This record gives sequence, C-alpha cells and structure tokens, in this order.
Amino acid sequence: MIVGFDNVSLAYEGEPEILREVSFTLGEGEFRFLTGPSGAGKTSLLKMIYLAHRPTRGAVTLFGEDVTAAPREALPALRRRIGVVFQEFRLLDHLTAFENVALPMKVAGINPNQYREDVRELLNWVGLGHRIDARPPSLSGGEKQRVALARALVAKPDLILADEPTGNVDPVMGEKIMKLFIELNKLGAAVIVATHDITLIEALGKPIMHLEGGRLHDQPTTPPAKKGKRG
Amino acid sequence: MSDEQNIAERFVRAPGEEPQGEPRGFLGRLRAEPLLPEAGAGGAPLTAVIAVMSFLAAIALAVFVFISDAAGEWTSELERGLTIQIKGADAETIASQTQEAMRVLQSTEGVLEARAVPKEESEKLLEPWLGKGNIGAYLNIPALIEVRVDQNLRNDLSLLRTRLSAAAPGAVLDDHGEWHERLSAAARSGQLMAFAVFILVMGAGCAISVFAARAGLAANREIVSILHLVGATDDFVANQVQRRFLVLGLRGTFAGLALAMLTLGLTSLLMRAGGGPSGFLPSIKLGPQLFFTLLIVPIALCLVTAATARLTVLRTLSKEL
Ligand SMILES: Nc1ncnc2c1ncn2[C@@H]1O[C@H](COP(=O)(O)OP(=O)(O)O)[C@@H](O)[C@H]1O
Ligand SMILES: [Mg+2]
Repeated sequence: MIVGFDNVSLAYEGEPEILREVSFTLGEGEFRFLTGPSGAGKTSLLKMIYLAHRPTRGAVTLFGEDVTAAPREALPALRRRIGVVFQEFRLLDHLTAFENVALPMKVAGINPNQYREDVRELLNWVGLGHRIDARPPSLSGGEKQRVALARALVAKPDLILADEPTGNVDPVMGEKIMKLFIELNKLGAAVIVATHDITLIEALGKPIMHLEGGRLHDQPTTPPAKKGKRG
Repeated sequence: MSDEQNIAERFVRAPGEEPQGEPRGFLGRLRAEPLLPEAGAGGAPLTAVIAVMSFLAAIALAVFVFISDAAGEWTSELERGLTIQIKGADAETIASQTQEAMRVLQSTEGVLEARAVPKEESEKLLEPWLGKGNIGAYLNIPALIEVRVDQNLRNDLSLLRTRLSAAAPGAVLDDHGEWHERLSAAARSGQLMAFAVFILVMGAGCAISVFAARAGLAANREIVSILHLVGATDDFVANQVQRRFLVLGLRGTFAGLALAMLTLGLTSLLMRAGGGPSGFLPSIKLGPQLFFTLLIVPIALCLVTAATARLTVLRTLSKEL
C-alpha cells in the first residue's frame, strides 16, 4: 500500500474540521483523481500525504509505514520518495528554472554531473528548454507550473501528487502532462491528481475520489470516453 | 515510442534502484551548495555588528597582552633590584655607614652589582619637589645604594639584612616588595577586566547569532519550508544557515580585526611621537606575535556565531511538525 487514510480528520488551528473521517487506500501502481469544489480540502488532504501537516485524528500510512506520529527525523527520507506539483508552485524565486528543478537532487547532496542531463531533458520536455536560466519572477503562471512539474519528477518519485497541475497551462500542454502521468503510472509510479478539469478526467477514465462537505465520496470511474482500464 | 513514454522511462525508479539519500559525511556537506538567498540572514547589519564586536575583542585581547608584557617588564626590573637607604644624623655618619654597607655588599655572595648613588644624583631626584639649589646643604638627604642581586639571594634576604643592620644601623633595605605587590595586583585586575571584556563580547556574539538566526529563519520561512518538502533534513538547513553565518562572520570579523590593528598601530605611533614610552609605560609591540595572538578573535568569534546559529536553527526547526 502506497497511501492509507484511516478515519482521518483535519482541522487547522482554532478552526472547525475541514476533513472528517476520510478513509481510502492507494495501492501500488494506482492512479486516482481527487475532485471536489474549491475549498473542499483537496490541497489539505494532499498536504497530509506529503507530510506537511499531521492529521488531527485518524491514521496515515505511507509506503506501508504508519506515519501519523512519525518522528521528525523520519520525514525527509519519506518526502524524497514523493514528487509534488504544488498548486501554487512553490518555486524558489532566487534560483533559476534549472536550479529549481535540480533542488531535490541538491538537497540530497548528489553530484551535479549525475542530474544535469535529466534536468535539461525535463525542462525541454515541458517546453522550457530556452528558459533554463530564467528565474520564477520572470516566468508566467503556466511556465512556473511546468517548472514545478519538472521538479516533482526529477528524483524519480514512487508517488506523484499533482495539485491542479493543469490549472495554468493551455489545453494542449494539459493533455500532454496528463499523458505523462499515465505513462509514469504505467511504469509503476502511483499518482494522485487533484483537479476539477472534467474533460481531462473523462478522457482518462481513472477512478475518482470526490471531496465534498469534508467527506470523501468514492465514485467509480466516470463514464469513460474510452474503455476504462484497471482502477 | 512517444515523447511521454521516453520521459516516463527515465523518471521512474528501476526495480532495485535506491531512492535519493541525503548528504552524508564531510564531503557530502561540502558539495551541498548554498541555497539561501544572499539578502537573507541580516546581511550587512550583522556583518557590521560582528565587525564592531571583533574590534572590541581584539582591543581587549591586545590590552591583555600588553599588560602581561608590561607587568613582566616592571616586575622583573623590580625583582632584580634592591635599594638600600642610609639615614643618619649628619653627612659624615651617612657617608661612613654607606661605606660599611658597601663593604658588606661586596662580601656578600649573590650581589651582582652595588652602586652608591652620588649625592648630586639623589638631589636631582628631589628637585621636582624641593626645587633647584643646594638642597644637601640644609637637608640630610639619605644616601642611596642601588643593588642588583641574583635570584638565590633575592629569595632569602634575611642574612643580608642582619649583616647590614649590624654594620650600618641606619641602613634600610627596600626590596620593592610593596611595589611589586601593588603592580602585580594592578596588572592582574587589568588583565581580568580585559579578559572579561573579551568573554562578554563572545557572549554578545552568541546572543546576536541567536537573534539573527531566528530572524533569518523567519524571513526565509517559505524557502526553508520548500527545502523540507523536497526532502531536506534539518541538518541540511542548519548547514545552509551556518555557512551564511560563517561567510558574514569572516567578513565582519576580519574587518574589525583590521580596524583594531590600525588603531593599535596609530596608538603606538602617537605614544612614540609623544616623547616615547621608554620610562614607565612599555611600548606597544606590534609584531607577528601579536598578530597571531589576535587571530584568536576571528577564529573564536566565527566558531561561536556559526555554532550558535546552527544550534538555534536545529532547536527552532525541531519544534515544527
Ligand atoms: N493553512 C491554513 N490555515 C487555515 N485554513 C486553511 C489553511 N489552508 C486551507 N485552509 C482552509 O481549508 C479549507 C480547504 O482548503 P483547501 O485544502 O485549499 O481546499 P481545496 O484545495 O479543495 O480548494 C478552505 O476553507 C481553506 O480556507
Ligand atoms: Mg487546492
């Protein structure tokens, strides 16, 4: 099991619970959409997976380990196995696009010779090969999103969490990104994509978790455009 | 194969391939390049404060060194020398007793040199108080004998004392003991104060580092949070901050040290220009030895600030999540 939520509830400090008794599991090699209206708590749910927030109640399992109360020292190694495309990108403004994408490798103390080509290739693929030395403040929202995507993939994550990854890019790029997630997933990476882009969801026919009113409503695959594959 | 498949193949971990580790050992840490922005961590103000502290610490340390040099000079001068004062009712008694005393001195083992101070010289010593003129004519000025003795004799003057008072009842042996005591005490308290200033400055360095490290963390909160989210350990973040402090610290502390050296040099020049310190005050000796001693300041200050910054960061982060 890659991710397990067991009756997880979450309340930000001094506020009412925004997630209530959420339970689900994500198995190895699974692909899942996370939908729900804005403010439903999609980002908050993802935060608990990438260990930026601890649940108020309930238990979270990650890569088969109970991480609900994992000691702080145990978190970095777990986070390194997760690639996150943050909704608000979270790039470092004082670093170039290249350096931002390379960040997970730098943080791991890896020799630049070992990742330089990978970083270039990812940036080329997201169409930013010519903006490799640009800093985020000079990039458009869509460009930042693509840098964030490249950074999420560079360390070969076992779990990919994408929070509205196509929210700022044009439909062609959006489709391309989704296709990449599908391919990564085929090769073994588990994927959760939070989105409300119905056309994308419908095109792919993957299982959906729907958040509303603080609760999770499992939905089987939406009526697929093409025959739905394994969920 | 499609573009996407190509990329996917490169960015999914092959079976058996280890996930990315973290920087290990000294080399791994060295390779971890600076990731915090230059502008963070207080920059210029912190450098300035460290420069000032470094200046104060260097001056304090130099004062400490000067005092021990000077005290050494004074006391060894005093230690080697004795003074015998011969009082008497009239000039003849004084003269004859002086001769007796000289005879005793010449026959005492351990006396290196004994010199009866000529009358004119003694009178000259009194001139500042009594004015010019033939003082000796109406005052019975005691005679003085300056004696230099070896360490053995110096350690035990009792026999000499007995022999002197037998031969010349008016002779008073002054071993400068009181002066010696007072000078040593003065030197000790001077040194203590200089040392206290040095320690206080180091303490202030710690305090400043705590504040600056906390402020730096707060100012770089989002950056630190992103570093954590992509897998950085607290240790990695602490290294980043520590490195910034080392760079700022080195810059500041060497600026302060240079300023201190300049000040000491100028003081030394002024002292020499003002008639020379030759008498009572020892000269300020600016040499490689002092320089190397003062190097303690940047080393100590950098170590103290960087280590404090590191601990502060680790402590602050340990309270998160
Ligand atoms: N750090 C936070 N502190 C307090 N409230 C928050 C915080 N982050 C999100 N919220 C609130 O939690 C709710 C869910 O937010 P979010 O998880 O971002 O939803 P979604 O991603 O589905 O739009 C919202 O009402 C939002 O205002
Ligand atoms: Mg959101």
